[in-house]
Amino acid sequence: MQATVEIIKEAILEAEVLNNVDDLVNDISLSKQGCDSLDLVNVYMILEEKFGIKIPDEDLDQLLTINGIIEYLNARI
Amino acid sequence: MLSIKAIAGYVPSQRISNREKMSKFDLNDDFIENTIGVIEHARKASDEDTSDLCVSAFANLTQKVEVNVSDIDCCIVVTQNPDYKLPHTSAIVHKKLGLAKNCACFDISLGCSGYIYGLSTIMAFMQSNNLKNGLLFTADPYSKIIDEEDKNTALIFGDGATVTLINDEGNWQATGYDFGTDGNGYQDLICTDKLFMNGRSVFTFAASVIPSHIKNLMAKYSFEDIDIDKYILHQGSKYIVDTIRKRLKVDERKVPFVMYNYGNTVSSSIPLILEQELQNSDNKRLIATGFGVGLSWASVILEKIER
Repeated sequence: MQATVEIIKEAILEAEVLNNVDDLVNDISLSKQGCDSLDLVNVYMILEEKFGIKIPDEDLDQLLTINGIIEYLNARI
Repeated sequence: MLSIKAIAGYVPSQRISNREKMSKFDLNDDFIENTIGVIEHARKASDEDTSDLCVSAFANLTQKVEVNVSDIDCCIVVTQNPDYKLPHTSAIVHKKLGLAKNCACFDISLGCSGYIYGLSTIMAFMQSNNLKNGLLFTADPYSKIIDEEDKNTALIFGDGATVTLINDEGNWQATGYDFGTDGNGYQDLICTDKLFMNGRSVFTFAASVIPSHIKNLMAKYSFEDIDIDKYILHQGSKYIVDTIRKRLKVDERKVPFVMYNYGNTVSSSIPLILEQELQNSDNKRLIATGFGVGLSWASVILEKIER
């Protein structure tokens, strides 16, 4: 399974971080679009489960935007 | 048949307000109430030690049921913050309560899963040794090890203690257990000098392991959600309890969250809720689940005995 914008947005909805993900901008950090740090931890957990990988703490600065998350995941699956 | 006769809790009266820490940690009301779910946390007096918390819980127990200390033949204390490195705190409680010399005493070193492990241990120990009246204490005052400058831990934990009286006269029976450990996470919640918690790792563990653990327990005993009146989850934080509840897909009314005014009391969080819920006549079957330091987790099914 390849990471896509839709899958990332599904994870954000599943985590109940935001009610509407349609307007999210892919290259702006999620923290500037209404996701706090705990919300992101929840999203990362769901993605770890979906993709069967472990995201180390030291890699989190690569996963700040939707594009960053997609690039990171696709390089590791 | 051994059963839970009564539970009594003790929460020290002193409170530390998280609202007074808003500027220090850049907090807001929504975060305090809806994310961590701790408006204020209980703090023991400086001259109050772990064994004293147990003694105060026992004093509250004697307000509920008659207890003859000479009849107590088993006393267990669940703690990782004992009075001393040695002896075991249960021996100090033994002295302070004036328990009999034929009373078996030992401690169990576990954190937030400790009540469930303790309940299984005391039941099995009493059963195998034909003991009649046991006291299971929980008392883990994290104020001894909190770094007040660490936002990850300084806002959450509260001091408290409980005691559960076990004998054959109670109305609640433990009918099933399930246990687990992932030692790979032992460094995620650890105390060398002060408490350290990797919040992300602990959250991920709780949110990913606990829902499937509870579902597996229910499947093991052929229970569905309709068979369970309440799920008593360890009160790690509101965000953790809410996340587990949502992943279990159970009604919010079936998952109590009560620690707003005293905080996460570690192994005491579950019995503090059970103290109320076992009195609720609507409850016939409960699942209680503890999880935390270790990483360790455990669940018990409690069923009301119709006498």
